[in-house]
Amino acid sequence: MHDAIGTGGTGGTGNNLEIDVAGLTRVEGEGSLRLLVRDGVVQEARLEIFEAPRYFERLVVGRTPDEVIDIVARICGICPVAYQMTAVHAFEHGLGIPIDPQIRALRRLLYCGEWIESHALHVFLLHLPDFLGYPSALDMAKNHRAWVEAGLALKKVGNQIVELVGGRAIHPVSVRVGGFSRVLRRSEVERLAGPLTSALRIALDTVDLVTGLEPPSFDRTARLVALRHPSEYPMNEGRIVSTDGLDVAAGDWPSAFEESQVAWSHALQARGRDGNPYLLGPSARITLAADQLHPIAAASLASTGRAAAIRSNPYWSILARAIELVDATAEAIDLVEAYRAPDRPSTPWQPGPARASWATEAPRGLIFHDYRLDEEGHVAEARIVPPTSQNQAAIEADLAAFAPRVLALPREQATHRIEQLIRSYDPCISCATHFLRLDLETVP
Amino acid sequence: MTSPRAQPGFLPRAEFGRLFAALEADGRRIIGPTVAEEAIVYDELHDPAQLPVGMTVETAPGAYRLVPSGRDRAFDYAVGPTSWKRFTHPPLVPLTVSRRDGAGVDVQATAPSAPRLAFLGVRACELQALAIQDRAMRAGPLGDVDHAARRDASLVVAMECAVAAETCFCTSMGTGPEVASGADLVLSELDDGFVVRAASHAGEAILGQLGLAPAAAEQTNAAAEQAREVRRTMGDPVPTVGLPERLRASLDHPRWDVVAERCLACANCTLVCPTCFCTSVSVASDLDGVTGTTERSWDSCFSLGFGRVAGDANFRPKVKDRYRQWLTHKFSTWWDQFGSSGCVGCGRCIAWCPVGIDIREELLVIAPPGVEPGPAPWPAAPMGGRAPDPLPAVLPARHVTVRVGDVVHETADTVSLSLATDDRTLLGAQPGQFVMAELPAFAIPPISISRIRPDGLDLTIRSAGAATAALVALHARDTLSLRGPYGRGWPVGEAAGRDVVIVAGGIGLAPLRPLVDAVLADRPRFGAVRMFLGARTPRDRLFVAEMNALAGRADLEVSEIVDRAGPEWLGRVGVVTQLFDRATWDGSRATAFMCGPERMMQAAAAVLARNGVAPDRTWVTLERNMACGVGTCGHCQVGPFFVCRDGPVFSLAELGSAFGREGL
Amino acid sequence: MAGPPPAPTPHHAPRAATPRRPRIGVVKFASCDGCQLTLLDLEDELLAIAERVDVVEFAEATSHRSSGPFDVLFVEGSISTAEQAVEIARLRTVTRHLVTIGACATAGGIQAIRNWFDHEEVRQTVYPEPAFVDSLALSRPVADFVAVDAELRGCPISPGQLREFLVALVTGRRPQLPDEAVCLECKRRGVVCVAVARGIACLGPVTRTGCGAICPAYGRGCYGCFGPRESANTASLAEWFGATTAAPDVARLFAGFTAWSGPNRTAIDALGGPPGQREAEGRSGDA
Repeated sequence: MHDAIGTGGTGGTGNNLEIDVAGLTRVEGEGSLRLLVRDGVVQEARLEIFEAPRYFERLVVGRTPDEVIDIVARICGICPVAYQMTAVHAFEHGLGIPIDPQIRALRRLLYCGEWIESHALHVFLLHLPDFLGYPSALDMAKNHRAWVEAGLALKKVGNQIVELVGGRAIHPVSVRVGGFSRVLRRSEVERLAGPLTSALRIALDTVDLVTGLEPPSFDRTARLVALRHPSEYPMNEGRIVSTDGLDVAAGDWPSAFEESQVAWSHALQARGRDGNPYLLGPSARITLAADQLHPIAAASLASTGRAAAIRSNPYWSILARAIELVDATAEAIDLVEAYRAPDRPSTPWQPGPARASWATEAPRGLIFHDYRLDEEGHVAEARIVPPTSQNQAAIEADLAAFAPRVLALPREQATHRIEQLIRSYDPCISCATHFLRLDLETVP
Repeated sequence: MTSPRAQPGFLPRAEFGRLFAALEADGRRIIGPTVAEEAIVYDELHDPAQLPVGMTVETAPGAYRLVPSGRDRAFDYAVGPTSWKRFTHPPLVPLTVSRRDGAGVDVQATAPSAPRLAFLGVRACELQALAIQDRAMRAGPLGDVDHAARRDASLVVAMECAVAAETCFCTSMGTGPEVASGADLVLSELDDGFVVRAASHAGEAILGQLGLAPAAAEQTNAAAEQAREVRRTMGDPVPTVGLPERLRASLDHPRWDVVAERCLACANCTLVCPTCFCTSVSVASDLDGVTGTTERSWDSCFSLGFGRVAGDANFRPKVKDRYRQWLTHKFSTWWDQFGSSGCVGCGRCIAWCPVGIDIREELLVIAPPGVEPGPAPWPAAPMGGRAPDPLPAVLPARHVTVRVGDVVHETADTVSLSLATDDRTLLGAQPGQFVMAELPAFAIPPISISRIRPDGLDLTIRSAGAATAALVALHARDTLSLRGPYGRGWPVGEAAGRDVVIVAGGIGLAPLRPLVDAVLADRPRFGAVRMFLGARTPRDRLFVAEMNALAGRADLEVSEIVDRAGPEWLGRVGVVTQLFDRATWDGSRATAFMCGPERMMQAAAAVLARNGVAPDRTWVTLERNMACGVGTCGHCQVGPFFVCRDGPVFSLAELGSAFGREGL
Repeated sequence: MAGPPPAPTPHHAPRAATPRRPRIGVVKFASCDGCQLTLLDLEDELLAIAERVDVVEFAEATSHRSSGPFDVLFVEGSISTAEQAVEIARLRTVTRHLVTIGACATAGGIQAIRNWFDHEEVRQTVYPEPAFVDSLALSRPVADFVAVDAELRGCPISPGQLREFLVALVTGRRPQLPDEAVCLECKRRGVVCVAVARGIACLGPVTRTGCGAICPAYGRGCYGCFGPRESANTASLAEWFGATTAAPDVARLFAGFTAWSGPNRTAIDALGGPPGQREAEGRSGDA
């Protein structure tokens, strides 16, 4: 865990390479990397997740839907809204609870806030240092202070949105089945307008900054999966689609994908039913739903000319995130402008038995929840599939495909390129670990 | 009764907006009742439409519900969770801004910002509460500048109650339902409008602007009858005759344990109470500790930290201690301190207690009427009760920058700072007084003055936490800021013509040293002078060279003893009382002055009493948590006393059993 | 749990030069990362603070690594594997001030609910191959394993309290982290008590303040994520809930993110255990 400093392994000698990074840095959660190439052939390419399991699917058994919303937020400190949104929509869909349109808009605003906070964190604090050659944003600030401050300011606006709508920037308190725990006044929401205008400016500048970077060249064809919605960029609702023609309802996730356990990881890995890996996240969304981007974001993407590169080179995910920063801030501005307080904070509802399944788009990609509620309306079984666990197989496949390209480099540089690759997927390892599968059960 | 300065007028309901207009024309923002979060709270109003028309409340212990009243009145509610102290004694008040840089330490008091307000809908009980808090905020040596400014800037528009809630008991407390004094305007709501009368010059001015038709006799009669009906409904739930004495004598009643089982010590009762005034001070600073601010916020005697002193000892560790403190203060010792009851019978504490504790019920069990009280634990109103009329002027706090001269390391953790100043107030300090010592970015402790000189003061400080550690670390030519001197010091003149006995334990010698200086400066005036000094070990003794010099004098006796020592110590080993528990001198001719840990003082007091020293000739100095030092934060109370302004020096006769009683 | 934070070792007046910047570490055990993220959420002050301290270990934020020594080590997460128990003991030996941050580190976290369940049942329902997964039977707070010098409570910790702690650390004064009920914060803010006015079960009276009374301000009851305060009288509150709220199952009100802390744990045990336990008993013994 923390006892190994830096990396280990034997040096690259032309066709051999062994890299062990005992504790990946600038990723969320605890994972390590193992890569072994012998005679030009990749023997092992593993993202080892040793994050301690917390057994969330067992913890929610016996709980009410509102309690579940509070609990699942704690799966991840960076994307708690993703868990809350997926859970609350699953319960409302399963119990047939109608949602006021202003509530729906507030939830989208909340998710915009999390996307902004999460993507700004990743772009500026976690990933950009790799591109500019620094071990951390704190070091990067010595020579690029204005950029780090801009990134922190952008992250702050994301947090402000979540804090206003959710009550708290991390682990919001106000999301309830049927709506929220209190009505937000228009005067409160309006206060976001000024900070969001500055944030949009920073987001557009971020696209320019990132477009000028020179990531390693690595083009491959990956199977990309995301939600798709007929009239908006996917966040809280949509059907599951892929670059190879998949199109199923969100609740039918199990029909397209399955999970298995591997010895080197506390996280279950997901693959398509054909056994092949697939990739979620901003690059997938841009590829599959760019036509739904906010016009300002669409124009920004077009001006970069890199939509194809985003699809094929995972290093360009940093640009996908920057475009989504533009989209989320632009959408948030519109949502704030249009907000009118609803008459009541939530729709009243009655607990009862139900099957509750849903998917939303977390900052890192598609996230799927599946609950069965018993006669009293308490959770009897739960299944939670976060994006990073679904990405694991694809990350390892990309790792294996990329490894030969760095065989000729000095080991330290090779390691750096590979860590930069891992970070391109913005893995959220605490999320990936929690989940577990109870029983295989077909959707009725 | 209100003086009949102007004829009551009648304001029709539909024209209530004219009152709003008149108040706004007077440059005031209107604070009044409105519905928020399913309660009626006091907030800024711009329009009569914001009033809670058609609403009333149903209350019970631990419950408050808004319900329709069935009629169109706006003031049918009983008081809610907000009280007017939110605007006269706000939850957060900035106190000072300070700097510590090359030029030294400078502390500036923050001027109060008192907006011009009109309080609309103040009930009789609330008027009394405002008056009670006036006395509490003005009873110390300074008064409270912020509170005074806010009171001066607010106009009070009272509303006589037409409805009582189940938790109201103003009739028992003599505070309502009829409005007596304290308002500028008094309104009574009838179905079709309001009877309006002026009760002050400011009220007359507003009334004059309204140009109302005179109220008809049946209207004023209806208003009076409403109030009488409220009185009849309420009855007299808590007979209060003799209650202060009965309660004071019930400190050991078994009911305290029973209520402590239920009490959550959550502080809700104290924070909804319109008269509770306790606050704490917090500090903030920049990352370098160069600029700092302090602010004051609502606190409560129910919080554990309220009774904590340096070294993490705590005077009210148990919930039982704190509940008892609150109830006895409110209904008994408040009389000693401020000349009235602290409770106005508004019932908020009953409704807003999360577990529904009802003080009416508790009082009836702990101090039932008709039962002769037992012996009083301390003399009644020893300070003569306090309710000066008119109230004394409010004086702003003074922050005086002083410079460190010599620094003497008395022991491993105790330092004496010689401070130079020409400030005449500081130089006029009396033996036994203390100052509040401030460095920006640190908490502000009270420190005893250990010497008074023509050109400055000495402070002897033990490092017991971060703030005192910072003081102990000061060097020559550093500066710090002082407030004071505060407190009642040693009554030196009282010992004239008598023998003097001084008992000091550890750092307790520090506040006694100015007393010794004063006695020796006028030696012939006193009889035999005997000093008994105790310390933990030889290395913990203070002022060693000075005490040795005193010991060499023929005109006084100095004996010392340590709790434990190594072989290098040739003196006595044991507790300080051993120095005089076999004494043969006649204590009836002596005045004793003591300072040290309370346990030590208790033991010494017992021995001195056996020697014949009278309790009204035995003087001690008490230590308590102090945030303000001037009697407005509430931290330093012991029974009826504020240690900061009634003490810290007290005679045992004054204290009675408040001295040494645990959990008081 | 750890007692109140002791005063930090005092340093001299600011004008005296401190020989070196304090070495700061941030480490994580079983947790969601939210408390560490609060450090990065200091946004406006992050760079200013970073200039006055030396962050030598903070895996999420920097690729610099260090295994110690540390002047101040912030520890997030509960101890739930054998490896973690060994590591926290090692870290204690190289740390001057060990500061636990968050409900997981200070109270065991929400994952401590499994402490009431049979561990094998939990592992087996979680993973088909439980042998691959190393975990202890209990998820426990750090203070169960090593002495803790200070703690910041919360789920997550409060940015305001973190800021206060860091400023106190840098200026050498005692951090002001009051141990009082959430109720004081509600009343100072003017938030109407949801329990008294709406009959909502709220743990505010027995929970330590620090969050700013968010939940009542947002119209729901406090669920105790800052943990029990001093003198937390959960028995009295539980009795009141049982008599007045609609919730028939009072135990679940205390079975939240600090369930394993003394007064909460006592209340849960007295009231029949946390939700999900019946399911646990039904399953134990299954293959």
